Amino acid sequence: MAVAVACAPSEKQLDNIIAKYRGSPGELLGVLEEIQQHHPHKYLPAGTLEYVSRKTGVPLSKIYSIVTFYAFFNLKPQGEHSIIICRGTACHTRRSKNLLEYLKKLLGLREDEARQGEKVFLTTVDNKFTLKTVACFGQCALAPVVEVDGVIYSHMTENKLKDIVARVARGGKRK
Amino acid sequence: MMINIRIDGRDYQVQEGSTILEAAKQAGIIIPTICYLDGISEEAACSVCVVEVIGAKTLLRACVTKVTAGMEIFTNTERVRKARSLNLELLLASHPKDCFVCDRNQTCELRRIAFDMGIREVRFAKTTKLEMEIDSSSPSIIRDPNKCILCRRCIAVCMKVQSVSAIDSMNRGKLTKISTFMDKGLGNVDCINCGQCLLVCPTGALTENSHIRGVWNALEDPAKVVLVETAPAVRASIGEEFGMAPGSLATGKMAAALRRLGFDKVFDTQFSADLTIMEEGHELISRIKNKGPLPLITSCSPGWIKFAEHFYPRVFEHISSCKSPQQMFGAVAKTYYAQKLNIDPRNITVVSIMPCTAKKFEAQRPEMDSAFEYWKDRMGLKQSDRFQDVDYVLTTREAARMIKEAGIDFTGLADEDFDEPLGVSTGAAVIFGATGGVMEAALRTAYEVLTGKTLEKIDFEAVRGLKGIKTAEVDIDGLNLKVAVASSLSNARVLLEQIQAGESPYSFIEIMTCPGGCIGGGGQPIPTDAAIRQKRMNAIYEEDKNKPLRKSHENPAVRALYREFLGEPLGGLSHHLLHTHYHQRVLV
Repeated sequence: MAVAVACAPSEKQLDNIIAKYRGSPGELLGVLEEIQQHHPHKYLPAGTLEYVSRKTGVPLSKIYSIVTFYAFFNLKPQGEHSIIICRGTACHTRRSKNLLEYLKKLLGLREDEARQGEKVFLTTVDNKFTLKTVACFGQCALAPVVEVDGVIYSHMTENKLKDIVARVARGGKRK
Repeated sequence: MMINIRIDGRDYQVQEGSTILEAAKQAGIIIPTICYLDGISEEAACSVCVVEVIGAKTLLRACVTKVTAGMEIFTNTERVRKARSLNLELLLASHPKDCFVCDRNQTCELRRIAFDMGIREVRFAKTTKLEMEIDSSSPSIIRDPNKCILCRRCIAVCMKVQSVSAIDSMNRGKLTKISTFMDKGLGNVDCINCGQCLLVCPTGALTENSHIRGVWNALEDPAKVVLVETAPAVRASIGEEFGMAPGSLATGKMAAALRRLGFDKVFDTQFSADLTIMEEGHELISRIKNKGPLPLITSCSPGWIKFAEHFYPRVFEHISSCKSPQQMFGAVAKTYYAQKLNIDPRNITVVSIMPCTAKKFEAQRPEMDSAFEYWKDRMGLKQSDRFQDVDYVLTTREAARMIKEAGIDFTGLADEDFDEPLGVSTGAAVIFGATGGVMEAALRTAYEVLTGKTLEKIDFEAVRGLKGIKTAEVDIDGLNLKVAVASSLSNARVLLEQIQAGESPYSFIEIMTCPGGCIGGGGQPIPTDAAIRQKRMNAIYEEDKNKPLRKSHENPAVRALYREFLGEPLGGLSHHLLHTHYHQRVLV
């Protein structure tokens, strides 16, 4: 069985990405997004951010500010599959909180008491699933919505969610 | 161009492009602000400065709204007063209610504005249950995020005035907080400990890492000989803590008060400032004679030194190897003075009173134990006996707090002198407290040593004043010396970039971390603003003028120190006790 080598993009790769966005509006956002996509675990390690700061001259505090502002960026390794539950107002009124609680139970995830109130970012022990929340996907008419591996599912229910998770876990594609 | 506007029913002519806040100020109308900081921060975050403008749908923020011709503004209507109060009440809802025991009890802007706005109850319950961890990782500055109201002034000062950007706002919405990269804490990132953030914080979210407890303990310990040294800038500001007008010189009262606190000897950092000039002046002279490396940059300001260690390791060879006066004092007190009076150096406690928070960091740098190194072999000391040259560092504010706690009537005290010999100083040492002062003091001595002639006009006016970068050409008997002075590190960067590009025209550069120099330091009384800095600066030059001796090399106690102990400037013992080296620090 092939073992996936989980390593951050090399300095040369980082240099190329930084050069690609130089001078374009919001260049740092573009750089960070592409670097994250490049990482096998879809996240931004601290060392990578330090390198980006050195190369772009943007202070580390500013980079960390941007990375923590946008829900899109991850500072921790992601599981193989990502599930993002929308916790915006419309989804909340359509009981997205129940979906969150259901998924936590389904995947055997526990929220750390001490971290209560912070952004949800939970990964299963087998590194298969990462469960996150987002403030709004802008798909309020379809509430409640859940994104699984980059695909947004609308009018979500616990049963539908269960099927999707089971299918994804088997490695199946979207119907 | 001037335009006509109306404020509260009266007509005014104001400059086009000014904000409503500025226009109202000229008209003598006070609009309350919290997040606004003149010339530095216009975050429009707090919404306390709202006013009513005829024709506008909503209330407008006076700090960022520009006046337009014919604009009609109301600053004092029921609607405005209610909105301001409501916005304040919402800020107060989540703010801790422990004002009794808060460091900023007397100087909290939030508390004062709430009082001025007539708020007598907080109607709203706390909106967040989150208890955030206090950041005590820094030896200089403590950050309590629970008291932070997210005005972002600290971020603006750190970025714009100091060009450091150690802090920024993290997360979003109700989870927003001001923090460092990866929440490592101020002590583990490129914070330079200058404390300018602390000076502009409207609440008690940023305070100094207090050494008061340790100093009381030392004063209570009969086995300890407790020596105090006071920085030049403290005498020009400490009176403010006791209700004296900014710019009041309180040298004599300060010495008297410290004696009553129980210090065994009241000494002066100005003694070691004169000593610094002897060493640094000779370093300059030797570099001029040996053709480099020039420019030589001063090294008294510990914020600047840490800044160089993070951002400008390539200019290390340009930075004077002289320790700061604080550290020279500690090293001399625990060697020369200990020996002279036959006191065990382990029983000496050196307390410094500084206008500075970065000095707390400097005192605990591992290499600042020269006296221990000096005695180690001579006394057969073990590593476990190690002691710092300077044991405790109090800010001006902390010293004032101790004087109050001891029940000393500061303003009623008769003036007293410092003790000899480490309390003797010249006018050249006083001016260390203001930007340009170290430069001027060094020039006074360098001129006379280089030429062997008496300097007739000893006031170098060109390097005085609050301007961020000052340059001058000094004629030293035919030798044309180009010099530059920078205060605040964003200004210093300009001169440092020139050096790195190999284009610096200067031979000697003075860099002070804080705007205006030490008189505007992060350990100074709150408030510290441009007008107050100017007044403190005036007091510094007044003290210089009144001193009988005004050149460091004329200080009789410093001369005795060289005669009895050190030998000569830049000599072997000087090298061990008075000079240091710098470490590159990673950019985190």
